[in-house]
Amino acid sequence: MASTPAARDGVSGFGAMWVRWLDRAPFLVALLILLVIVAIRSRLESGVLTLDELNVDTASGLTLMLAATGQTIVLLRGGIDLSIGGIISLGTVLAATHFGSDPVSVGAWSLAILAFGFGAGALNGLLISVLRLQPFLVTLAAWSIFTGIATMILPTDGGSVPEWWTRFGYATLLGLSGPVWVLLGLILFWYWFRATRLGIVIQATGSNERSAILSGVSLIRVNIATYGLSGLFAAAAALYLTTQTGTGSPLIGRDYILPSVAAAVVGGISLFGGRGNLVGTLIGAFILTIIGDLVFALHVSSYWQPVLSGLILLVAVLVSSLTEKSARRQSQ
Amino acid sequence: MELLEVSGLSKRFGGVVALSEASFSARAGEVHALLGENGAGKSTFIQILAGALHPDEGRIALSGAEYRPTNPDAARDRGIVTVFQELSSIPDLTVEGNIWFRREPRTLLGMRDKREIRRRTEALFQRYAFPTLNPGQELRRLGLAERQVVEIAKGLAQDPRIFILDEATSALAARETEWLLDLTRRLAAEGRLVVFISHRMGEVRAVADRLTIFRGGRTVAAHNASEVSDDEIVTQMIGRRLERLYPERLPYATERVALEVRGLSSGARLSDVSFQLREGEVLGVGGLQGHGQRELFQALFGVSRAEGESLLWGKPASIASPRDALIGRDGIALVPEDRRGQGLLLGKSVRENLTLSVIRRISSRGVLRRESEAALVKEMIDFLRIKVSSPEQQTDTLSGGNQQKVIFGKMLLTEARILLLYDPTRGVDVGTKSEIFQLMRDLAAKGYAILFYSSDLPELVNVADRVMVMRQGRIAATLAGDQISEDAILRAALFEEAA
Amino acid sequence: MNAFLARNRLVVLAYVGMFVLLAVTAFFSPGFLSESNLRSSIVLAAFVGIVAFGQTFVIVGGGIDLSVPWVLNSAAILMAAFTGGHDLPLLWVAPLLLVAGGLIGFINGFGVAVFGVPAIIMTLAANVVLQGLIVIYTGGVPPPTAPGLIRYLSVGHVGPIPVIGVIWAVLAIAASLLMSKTAFGRYLYAVGSSTTVAEFSGVPTARTTISTYVLSGVTAALAGILLTGYSGQAYLGMGDPYLFTSIAAVAIGGASILGGTGHYIGTIAGALVLTILAGLLPALGLSTGALMVVYGGVILVTVSLSSDAFVGVWRLVSQWRAAAQR
Repeated sequence: MASTPAARDGVSGFGAMWVRWLDRAPFLVALLILLVIVAIRSRLESGVLTLDELNVDTASGLTLMLAATGQTIVLLRGGIDLSIGGIISLGTVLAATHFGSDPVSVGAWSLAILAFGFGAGALNGLLISVLRLQPFLVTLAAWSIFTGIATMILPTDGGSVPEWWTRFGYATLLGLSGPVWVLLGLILFWYWFRATRLGIVIQATGSNERSAILSGVSLIRVNIATYGLSGLFAAAAALYLTTQTGTGSPLIGRDYILPSVAAAVVGGISLFGGRGNLVGTLIGAFILTIIGDLVFALHVSSYWQPVLSGLILLVAVLVSSLTEKSARRQSQ
Repeated sequence: MELLEVSGLSKRFGGVVALSEASFSARAGEVHALLGENGAGKSTFIQILAGALHPDEGRIALSGAEYRPTNPDAARDRGIVTVFQELSSIPDLTVEGNIWFRREPRTLLGMRDKREIRRRTEALFQRYAFPTLNPGQELRRLGLAERQVVEIAKGLAQDPRIFILDEATSALAARETEWLLDLTRRLAAEGRLVVFISHRMGEVRAVADRLTIFRGGRTVAAHNASEVSDDEIVTQMIGRRLERLYPERLPYATERVALEVRGLSSGARLSDVSFQLREGEVLGVGGLQGHGQRELFQALFGVSRAEGESLLWGKPASIASPRDALIGRDGIALVPEDRRGQGLLLGKSVRENLTLSVIRRISSRGVLRRESEAALVKEMIDFLRIKVSSPEQQTDTLSGGNQQKVIFGKMLLTEARILLLYDPTRGVDVGTKSEIFQLMRDLAAKGYAILFYSSDLPELVNVADRVMVMRQGRIAATLAGDQISEDAILRAALFEEAA
Repeated sequence: MNAFLARNRLVVLAYVGMFVLLAVTAFFSPGFLSESNLRSSIVLAAFVGIVAFGQTFVIVGGGIDLSVPWVLNSAAILMAAFTGGHDLPLLWVAPLLLVAGGLIGFINGFGVAVFGVPAIIMTLAANVVLQGLIVIYTGGVPPPTAPGLIRYLSVGHVGPIPVIGVIWAVLAIAASLLMSKTAFGRYLYAVGSSTTVAEFSGVPTARTTISTYVLSGVTAALAGILLTGYSGQAYLGMGDPYLFTSIAAVAIGGASILGGTGHYIGTIAGALVLTILAGLLPALGLSTGALMVVYGGVILVTVSLSSDAFVGVWRLVSQWRAAAQR
């Protein structure tokens, strides 16, 4: 009696131990991949294991990390947020067209953009709950709308931000760059968030929506909070992006949507909801960011970068898919 | 004074009357059973008490004070806690995470207080002598019975004045059921009111002080438990004398072996199972839940991987998927455990569901033949007396009993003469249960071979020709004829020394 | 008749919407209804419709195909490269590329059905890998022009009817038959509704799922080949717009993104709606940005029109009313 794919039984022996480990720390695969990449790079080039490298890499990857943080919360809820592409684009456009040169103006507009991000996300959450629409479609439509608005305001890349704003990426404090501090902040945020009632409720609702409803959870509130947070982080990503590019770009957001999902999946977040650790996502985002460096170090054409990304994504998801199946089989 | 006093409660859904001037009266310190068939109005009543529905008319009083909850949280605030049959388990949270969900004690910054949570959980477990549970265990690793226990713990953690248990024992095995019945008496002794809904007369008899019977949305009777007989209860529940719940058990088994299994093993939960199922026989499978019964059925049907041999009608068979099992007259069919998740396409019509397994039969060269389909559908609806307005009716609008009939029909259409039935009468009303038992014996008479698992001991005792009791993934004992009794089954399920 | 309308109300709504849109467009831009304009609209819609053919099957089956852009692009580039602008090589190049598209689809389907990789990830990875490989192959330099035959197929017409319109019509009939009248169609709806239930009922779930992705790969490749004819040349990124439009067309056509319901006939209306809008807005002097906003709005409106949406609103309203009465 062989197996059907949908019913493959758990693996035994060494495999079973591996499965148990992965179940407890789904981001182990990501960590492993990261270590391998760093190891290869450090053999091929110098200066890889330095603080400076960390600062630089984090600076390039922070936009994705911020976007992926919001996406992780949504994925934990069991949904998906495609609109972050539009929010990021519109965020950069608004920043580049409205930032004055003084801190007050920049500060006020930054807050406004963050508020917009949260509001847009909250609106998504509202539509999803009240109209009972699928997150995929609602956020797809929202992406289109926000990208459209961004394009109407700024048909091509343009606008500008104050010079001092762009220095954030390499400002340092105690040897660590601004982006690294933000990264640490994200990790702290995560460990706080997931212990709060809201964090627990979001995870629970993603784990089993029906059970959550039976337990008295208000789907409207959960969805508004979930997608609102995602929008907020997308807006933050937009603001950070402008410190890197110095311009507004109506189409740039699209480059972050699917990678934000990929980073989370590589990091062990389950697409079904309810399981996962943001640290995994951050590692995943880090991996996606430094693949380009790896390809460069291997002296291979940079065209291989997407191929490598795709393959890593597949490997990571295959591993976590197999272990998820085993875990599910165990639980029956 | 009565703790809970309900009068004139009515509720309609569109044209359907769910409750009509229902009444209910219960005291603190008692265990009060609520009986009635599915569709009698019990769940509507419970949902109103729990604040999930609002009545159209009527009055509810708690210790004399008016009670009109706007939502479930309001009900809980007044001390009314309901443990529904449908579990609210959250698989990725731990046992204690589930128990204290949404009411976790918190420390600074709103973070949950892990130490306090653990302390309260252990105190709760201690106080009510809970079966052993690891508070830090993720719920997804637990079986159905344990999840039900967690659900009960979750209810108790809310310190209820009125504790409503809706079919709480349906998922439990014998040992946990004993504990739960004990628990209800203990809670009543603490001065609470326990409202106990169950289809199992034995349990009701064991704990109920008083009982109320609903039928057709109305309250037809309320008795002190000691003053009424089982027969009277059943009569009042279904409104007519039920000749017998269980059909006459004539011996139909022949010598021919329909299904033979040798050394069947699957994972950790099923080890070296061997048995023979004969033509015309109804073979029951018993034992505590989680001892390999599910794995056995899934292995036989090809849903999970297993080692060992199986022979269908004498011929060796290799069943790697349900598709391999459903091969027509010589095949095996399964009526699965989970009606909604494994048995029916809820958004589709009765017709589409009935013919789902015989699509090849109703099509020629890949093209569907509507007339063949319509004919088969009509035949099965008539044969099983499925109550539908038309074959196009969506299955999610059917009652549990009718849904089960559709699944039966789907499997019967495959013409497979070996039937695996996994707890076929769970959550099904008395009337349909009786029909299903009769169907099983009728099919046996026609030469079908039936293997059926039931968590209900009286069912096994009264319907099966033989009973295989499973323990720890093996067959602990096989009982036949006079050997079959609830006692014998339980003993074999629990103790080492079985025959 | 009423029962038919009730069962297929979403598709009917899609067509009603389309005709209303057509009327509005004709009102604001009378030139729109001219023969040449209608013809070019059908051609444009056909491309969306062809890609959406495969996407419809995949989505109804409960999945999604994000690899469409680069399957399309790869087929386009390889066709231009292998034929070098000549007609004759098409004899072997075209079938080869369609098979290759199907093969990619097979790999996607295999990953999803056999290894349990979520569709989003599997097809996304395929898309990214294909992009990388093709860019490596071309060295960033797109190949020469398309053969004349392909250009004819894309832009030419038989009498008043565009050839590609005929191709689309043939595909449409095939899709409708497949979905409504065959065993495969029944399996498709079952797998899309619940893979578990289908599995337990003996439905060949893996085979069905894989078939949907194969179909998607083939039609994406076909669209790539034809699209090269339309623009006269293959270029990098030509497939990108078709991801959004293929999914949008399926959604507007009334299919549930979760699978189990929907029909290609609806997708046709969806493709037409998207194309008409793309023609209307420039005529009104609105920019591409505005078009994107409108697209988003249309998707929201059409998917809201499913009954579930209003149940949710109704429930909220009833709750408020009940609360107000207390």
